[in-house]
Parts: sequence; structure tokens; C-alpha cells
Amino acid sequence: MRMRMRLKAAAAVVLCLHCLGVYLFTRGFLLTRTELSAFSLPSDLLQAQAPCCSESDLPSTTDQDLPGWTPPTVDRVLILIVDALRFDFVAPSSLFETKQKWMDRLSSLQHLASTHPSSSRIFKAIADPPTTSLQRLKALTTGGLPTFIDVGNSFAAPAIHEDNWIHQLLHTGRRLVMMGDDTWTQLFPHHFNHSYPYPSFNVKDLHTVDNGVAHHLVPWLHRQDWDVLIGHFLGVDHAGHIFGVDSQPMVQKLEQINAILQNVTDIMNSQKHLENTMLIVMGDHAQTLNGDHGGGTSEEVETCLFAWMPRSLPSSISSIFHPSTCGLGLNGKNICTSTMQQLDFAVSISALLGIPFPFGSIGRVNPELYALSPGSWDRQWLPASFYEDPSSDLKTWKNNYAHVLCINSWQVKRYIDSYSATSVMGFPSDDLHYITKLYNEAQSRWSDSKNSSCKPENDTIDEFSDFLLSFATLARSAWTEFDLKLMGVGLGIFIISIMFHLFVFERVHSLSNVYDNKTQKSSNHLQIYVAFLLVAVRAVSFLSNSYILAEGRVANFLLATTAIGSIRSSLVYGKIKKHDLVFLILIILIRFGIEKGMSKQAATNPFLNYDSGSDFDLKWLPSLFEGHDFVTLLPEISPMIILFLLSFLSCKYITCTVHSRYIKWVVTVGTMLSYSFIATFWLSERSFAPKMVYVIGLSLFVLNFVLRYLGILEKGETVQRLRSLALVMVSAWSPTILILLGKQGPFVVLVCSIAGWSIISSKNKGLLDDCKMDPISVMQWSLLAICLFYQTGHWCTFDGLRYGAAFIGFDEFKVVRQAILLFVDTFGISHILPIFSLPFLVTIPNSSSSKGRDKTVIFLNLTQVYLLYGLITAITTTFTVLCVAIQRRHLMVWGLFAPKYVFDAIGLLLTDVLICVSALYYC
Amino acid sequence: MRKAEIGATTALALHSLCAAGLATGYWLSHSLYSSSLITDPAPTLRILTVCEAPVVILLFSWLRRDHDRCSFIKAVARGLIGLPIGALINAFGTIVLGAPVGLKFWPATIYWSMLMSLFTFVPAACVFGASKLDWQQILSYSKPSNIVDYMLSVPAHGAIIGAWLGAWPMPLDWERPWQEWPICVTYGAIAGHLIGMLFSPVLIFLHRRHIRTKTE
Repeated sequence: MRMRMRLKAAAAVVLCLHCLGVYLFTRGFLLTRTELSAFSLPSDLLQAQAPCCSESDLPSTTDQDLPGWTPPTVDRVLILIVDALRFDFVAPSSLFETKQKWMDRLSSLQHLASTHPSSSRIFKAIADPPTTSLQRLKALTTGGLPTFIDVGNSFAAPAIHEDNWIHQLLHTGRRLVMMGDDTWTQLFPHHFNHSYPYPSFNVKDLHTVDNGVAHHLVPWLHRQDWDVLIGHFLGVDHAGHIFGVDSQPMVQKLEQINAILQNVTDIMNSQKHLENTMLIVMGDHAQTLNGDHGGGTSEEVETCLFAWMPRSLPSSISSIFHPSTCGLGLNGKNICTSTMQQLDFAVSISALLGIPFPFGSIGRVNPELYALSPGSWDRQWLPASFYEDPSSDLKTWKNNYAHVLCINSWQVKRYIDSYSATSVMGFPSDDLHYITKLYNEAQSRWSDSKNSSCKPENDTIDEFSDFLLSFATLARSAWTEFDLKLMGVGLGIFIISIMFHLFVFERVHSLSNVYDNKTQKSSNHLQIYVAFLLVAVRAVSFLSNSYILAEGRVANFLLATTAIGSIRSSLVYGKIKKHDLVFLILIILIRFGIEKGMSKQAATNPFLNYDSGSDFDLKWLPSLFEGHDFVTLLPEISPMIILFLLSFLSCKYITCTVHSRYIKWVVTVGTMLSYSFIATFWLSERSFAPKMVYVIGLSLFVLNFVLRYLGILEKGETVQRLRSLALVMVSAWSPTILILLGKQGPFVVLVCSIAGWSIISSKNKGLLDDCKMDPISVMQWSLLAICLFYQTGHWCTFDGLRYGAAFIGFDEFKVVRQAILLFVDTFGISHILPIFSLPFLVTIPNSSSSKGRDKTVIFLNLTQVYLLYGLITAITTTFTVLCVAIQRRHLMVWGLFAPKYVFDAIGLLLTDVLICVSALYYC
Repeated sequence: MRKAEIGATTALALHSLCAAGLATGYWLSHSLYSSSLITDPAPTLRILTVCEAPVVILLFSWLRRDHDRCSFIKAVARGLIGLPIGALINAFGTIVLGAPVGLKFWPATIYWSMLMSLFTFVPAACVFGASKLDWQQILSYSKPSNIVDYMLSVPAHGAIIGAWLGAWPMPLDWERPWQEWPICVTYGAIAGHLIGMLFSPVLIFLHRRHIRTKTE
């Protein structure tokens, strides 16, 4: 009895430790931000009684159709995005230690910057990690800081659901044109009046996107029916990925871009309707010298933003701002550059165009960018009395800017308040308190300054800026910085739990050796070492992104290795048995399934370079049978035939194994009914059939537990009893899992049951007696479970979830119900079935020595099997956690490592829960 | 008892002959056809197989187990029959382990398994023929009584383990040409085989010293 308690207690402790570890690590690693669905409206400012605008202040309170919160200061904006534009591509080479060959290539921009210092500016724009195009475009348009989990994000489509300036433009009646990278049309499917998207996936194609943009750009510049034009060049990014920055193709690419830009600036200078148009040339992120990006190193985040207005300004702005870094340009004139945060771009462009600021934007209107527009020097908000004042242009500008900043601060404060009210994880309250204090001080000074005659704009501007910058710092720490301390503690708890696991396992193992009191210790130890070597190989492989992508194949490779090893030992101790060969053939079948799943994944995953054409090239096979009717019918009929075979086999096995007559009857009828409902569903698509299958499965599962605790299933010998318990449990679950897997289900379930049978029969080659735990078999069991996960078309990313499975039997969407179905589909074949069927490993049918065994020994072995299985899962998951922590600045951390971590963590917790349930049920 | 006369040095000499066969094949493919394993694997593997096959079959037929009942010609014939059988087994093994099965890989796979058969199966076939007991013995190491056993077993296991390890770089995304099937696997197998051939004389030397101390 103490033995039985031991597994339960150990499983419970391990479960608790893992829960704690996963919770802490997730808190530190998976940065979470809640997406708010609110949108800014033009009328917000008046309705909310924003402190910045008293009635008299607004220039057009009478004019109710004012589209924005601030008057527009430019007519049009032309945004040319050069993907992966490094700062040193644009800035003069005299700013850097040595002149490299990729510098000074964009000479047309440098020429403008040096000849028109008042109306043009080069900024070093600091992007926030992750520096991948999708996240950056999201940030540039919403003004927020995208993280890995943007809660509220719909999993399927990447379309932006937060407020953004593209949306605001559309709703204020502006006309948008887009050309270039098709990521834009994915993010904004219905926003552009005209769009010319080009595919962005093919990294090796340097020219299609750029030539396409160049082709459409010039005609559009001569047209007048647009307000904002976005052109997105990809060639520089692709050249970096393929050849690196220090390469001839990169130089050629930059020269091509330069020629296009020269052409654009010439047109803008000559066309009258483009006089009040701002040209912005910018990068979404930068790149390292190898062409990589995604992380947070200065090489990757320091991109560039160049802005220029053809119309000149009343006076130079550089006098107001802090001294910036200057260097000599190509023509010997001085070029000055400043620094800005990319975070500020969204709100700055909204202020320039005079549209409501995006609701979730946390940036600050950049003063230098705002000052470039002539409109910001107009006397917008000044009361009539002020016009007599012979104040300088500069003073007017400051007044305007302070006003914009006030609205800006009000908007950010509004976002902070609604975010704190609705988000999953808010900001720390101390910081919030401090931020609120800053805001209140700034607002009170603003209203003071308006009431008094003196106007200390400088102070007001400084205080508003202080508030905005403090909040941006706070948001950055919450949304873009990993909490290494929490991650470390989480990892430590994982390691402690492995220690504990090993300790318990070792205790039980030595206990069973005492009970057995035979001297097979050495051979058993060897097998444990082999099993742990396999675990170690698998665990270390998670360090590389390629191996994570190929995990299914790696597991299959290791499984095949163990199978070949067991054939070798079969040869040594006699002749090859047929189950060994069957197992090899099954591994080939599983392998083809995995490759088919990978080719499906390759269609959606840009990281996976899987050439399905060359590797899985069996197209010649059907052509052999062409013209025969049965080939076309085969995919339709074969699931039915296999289903029939399965139901026959399971009923036969149930009648042989289960001894209690009533149980036998109930389970057989339940199974038969389930299988016939599955067949009806496939033939007629009636939705009641799957529901019946779920109901039967659930009631059998509950019934098993009830009967188990009433003691009805206690009859018979220990081994037989265990076997019938396991069988009843598996038959309760398998129809549900089978129907969720769809038409591939019967085949997969057949493969997995035959493979399970082969593993059971191939264990113990005469060395061990039948009920002894064999570590290699447990390892094979676990590898088989992983192979089955990939074979059934799953993979460890969110687009790898089979959403169709959630709607089998249901048409309408309910979160909890559909989530449960999706969960069972994802983890059913790889976790639920293998763990519930583990007792088969210690209870081999028809073995002579298993009869009359001591009950304690059998339970000791069962405990060992469960502990070892849990240990294998825990070790691999711990290594996943470790690798994710090491690779947290990897290019693919959000695309690959983080989803892998999420899947593994859920899998681990599920394994622990299932082991606890099994301990309750079997022991 | 001729087999007892083979010492560590003889074994080393015989192994170096095998290695020389491989080296000749590599040199031939390089100089005559100017093809390397990376650029066109299938022809290179073919040349390697053609050069290695006579060396291996003749050498190990000379070492055949039952000298009295089995003539040299018969042993050669056993080796020739063993070549395709071993190739089939090796090909099956690699496909189980995940080698690509597309049509365009077939020539490379066939020649690769021939070469692997020469490393693993053919020598044993020449020496043992169809004697089941000898085969079991060589797989189990239960009675490492014979020197030829070492010569057969150590390089063969070396080749298989080398090929197994050689498969590991294949999934990496380095996009190097040598990551294609079967190039790195072949490199691994050849390296493992050579290491095994260097190692087996050492084992033979230790074994003989062990026997000598025992008899004394």
C-alpha cells in the first residue's frame, strides 16, 4: 500500500513543481500585452473635455467636420520604406571611424540634407525589438510595442486589430496608395484605395519587389488623387540576407535605390501639387553585417529616417534643439543628424496629417520632425490678441508644439487608464502613481500658463516630454525586456524537480531490485544509460532552430535507431522475430506521414526550407495504376475498411481481456456504437454522430472511475486486472481522438496500436523477465508518441493547430467547448493515449512468468514506468526551457522557440496531470 | 591453423590495403573524371565501389574461415553474392532512418549502400559464408576468440556508427552542398571505417598479449 501511495505523492509533487516553474518562467519570458480594441474618434477631444482645449482654443469649433485633433500641417506624405535600412547607409561616412564601401551610396539624400538644412533632416531612428518586419510595421502604424503574445490577437490572420493611423486616415477620408511588400496588404486588407503588393517570401529574389515599386511610383507621383503613398522596398533586406552587407550586390542595390530616390526628389521639386508634401525615407529595422535582424543589438535597432519638405521654412530649426552630431557630406558641406525613437513615428505622422492620434500609441510627437512641416509654424491656436504681439516665429512654433504635446499627453494618459482597467497584467502600481503625478503636474502648469499672460512654453514642453518619455520607459520594461530573474528561478525549479524525480526513481528502482533479488542489475543499468543517452541527444538538439523544425524526423531517426538496435540484439539471441520487421516497416510509414506534415508546414512557415518536391517524390506511384477506378476510390474507402478492422480488433481484444462480464458488455457495446457513429458521420456528415461519440467517450471515462472506486473492476489476477483497466480506459478515449483526427484517424490509430504491440513484444530479449521495467521500451514509447504528434499533421506553432478539428460535430463557435476539442485533437494521440496505455508495458499477455507474480513487484514496475516516462518528458522540456532562455535574442525566437516552449510546457503539465490520473486509476 | 598466424601488423597491413583501395578510388574520380563527392555524388560513389570491391573481396576471401572445405573461388563467389544482399539491407536501414526516397536519389542511394555493404557485410560474407553461429558470435562479442573477428567487426561497426553520426548535420540550415544525402553520411562512414581499421590492430595486439599472459 505504501508503494501505491508513493507514485501518487511523487506525481503530485512533480506536478506542483512544474506548475510553479512554468508559471515563473512564462511570467519572465512571454511578454504579454493586451490589445485594446478602442479607436480614437475626431470628437473625442471635445466630448472628453480634454484639458488642452477650452472652447475658445480650438480653431474650428464652429467647423464640426474637423477631421482631426490638430490642424494638418502637410498636404500629403510620401513614405518610402527601405527594409533593413542601416543608419550608416544614409548618414555621411565622416560620422564613422572608417569609410566602408556600403556608405555614402544614398548620395541624393545626403545632397538634400546638406543643401536644405532647414527643410530636411536625417534621424537615427531607434527601433524596439523584436526587429522583424511584421512586428515593426505593426509598431510603426499603431505606435505601440508589439510583443509575442498580443492578447486578443486572432490566431489565424495577422491583420491589425488595434487603432492605427492607416485606419484613422481611412476614416477621415484620405486616399491611401500602397506598393511593395505584401505584408502591408496582410496587415491592412481593406484599407488601401490602390495597392500593388509583391510577394515578400522569396529571399533570393532581389529585384521583383523593387522594380515593381519603381514601376508604379513615378506615374502615381504625377497623379493628384492620393494623400498618403507608401512604397516598401525589400531588395536591401534580401541582399543582406543572401550576400551580407559588405558585398557588391548590396552596393548595387543601394545605388538602384539612390537612383529611384533622386528621380522622386526631382519630380517633387518640379511638381506644383507636391509642394506641401513631406517625403519620408525610412527603414523598418536595421541589420547586422551578416544581414540578420530580429534581435535587440544596436546594429539591428539603429535604423534611419530621412524627412524632407520641398517648401522651405521661415527659419532654421536646429537652433532650438540640442546639438546633434554633424559630419562633412560628400560635397564638403556639413550634414547634421539627430536621434529619434521609432515609437514616436505613428503619433508624429498623425500630428502632421492632422488626424486623431491612434488610441494605443505611446509615443511623443517628435519636435524636429514636426518642425519640418511649414504648417507647424502657422499661427493656429493663438488667440486674436496674440497677433499684435510682435513675437518671433519661434515662439509661435513653441506654442503650437506645446499644444500638440498636451493633446498627445492626454491621449497617452487615456490609454494608460483604459489599459490598467482592462488588461490581463497591468503596470506596477508604484510606477503608475509616479506617471500620474507627472501628468497632473504638467497639466496644471499648462492651465496656469494659459491663464496668466506669460507663456513659459519651454517648461510646459519639458514637463509633457518628461511624462511621455517616462511612460515609454515603463512600457518598454514591461513589454520588451525579459525578466531574467524570474526566468532563472523558473529554470531552477525545473532542475530541482528533475533532481527530485531522479531521487524517487532511484529509490523505487533499488527497491524493486531488492524485491526481485536477482542479479540483472548491470544489464538494466546499461539500458538506462542508453535510454538517457537518447534523451540527451534529443535534448541537446533543441539548441538549434533547424532541429526544432525537424523534431519529428529526429524523433523518428532515434526511434529507428532503437529498432535497429533491438534487431541486432534479436540476432544475437536467436533469430529475427516478425514484430521487429513489422516495427521497421511501421517506422517507414510514420516517417512518410511526418514528411507529409512537414511539407504542409513548409507552405506556411517562412523559416522551414523544406523541399518537398525532391524528398517526398512518390508521384510516379499513382501513375502506375492510372486508369483504374479503384485508385480514385481508394482514399474514400480505405478509412472505412481500416475503421471496420479496428472495431473488429478492439472488440475481439476486449472480449479476450476483460473478465468482468458486465463491463465487457458495456465497453463492447460502447465501442461498437462509437465506431458506427464515426462511420455514419463520414458517410452522411450528420452532426449528431460526433456528439454521440463524445458523449459515449465521456460517460465510459466517468463510468470507469466510478466502477473502479466501487471495486467492481477489482476481480482477477493483478496482471489481468491492470490490463483490463488499461484497455477499458484506452477504449473510452480512442473513438473521440479518432474522429477528431479525421479520415487519417483509423490509419494512425492502427499504426500506433501495432507499433505499441511491437514495442511490447520486442522488449526483454531473454535477459529480463517479462514484468520487469525496460527503460528502452519506455523511451521507444515516448519517441513513438512524439512521432505520432508530427505524423498526424501537427507541429509546434499556432498555425499548426488543426482548427477544423474543433468544429467536428458543431457549427457555431463557443470558446470553451471548441478549445477542449482542439486540445484533445492536439494532445490526444501524443499524450493521452500513450500515457493511459503505459501499463501494457508491464503486463505482457500470454507470458508464463507473469502468472502468479507478486502484486507488489508489478506495482513497483508500473511505478517505475510512469516515473521514467515523466522523467523523460521533464528532461526534454527542461532543455527546451534552457534553450529558449539561451536563444531569447535569436532571430526566430518568436517564430519558433517561443511556440515550441508553449507547446512543450503545456505538454509537460498535461503529462504530469495524466500521470496523476493514471496513478489514481491504476494503483 | 593459418588464422592464428595473423598478427596485429598483418592486420594493419591488410587494413591499409583496403584503405589504399578507397584512396585509389577517390584519386581516380578526382583526376580522371574530375568529379568529387560533393559535386556529383553518384558517379564518385560508383568509382569508389568499383575500386574497393575487388580489394575487399579478394583480401577477405583469403582470410576465409573454413580453409579445408571452402576454396578461394567459392569465398569470392560468396562475397559477390553478399554485395547486393548487404546493399539491400543497408538501403532498407537508411530508408528506415529517414533517407530520401525520391527517384532522383536512387542512383546515389544504390551506390552508397553498395559501398556500405563492402564496409560491413561483404567481408563477413567472404569469411563466414552462411554460418549462423559465426554471425551471431561476431554481433555479440560474447567470445572474442578470433583475430579475424576483430578485423571484421571493429571497422564495420565503425562505419555504421560513423554513418549514423554523419547524418546529424543534415537538417541544419547552413545550406552547404555537402549536407545533401548521401554526402555527409558517406564522409562519416568512411571516417568511421578508417578509425575502426586503425583501432582493430590495437585490439588484436591487446588480445594476443592477454592470451599469452593467460597461457603463461
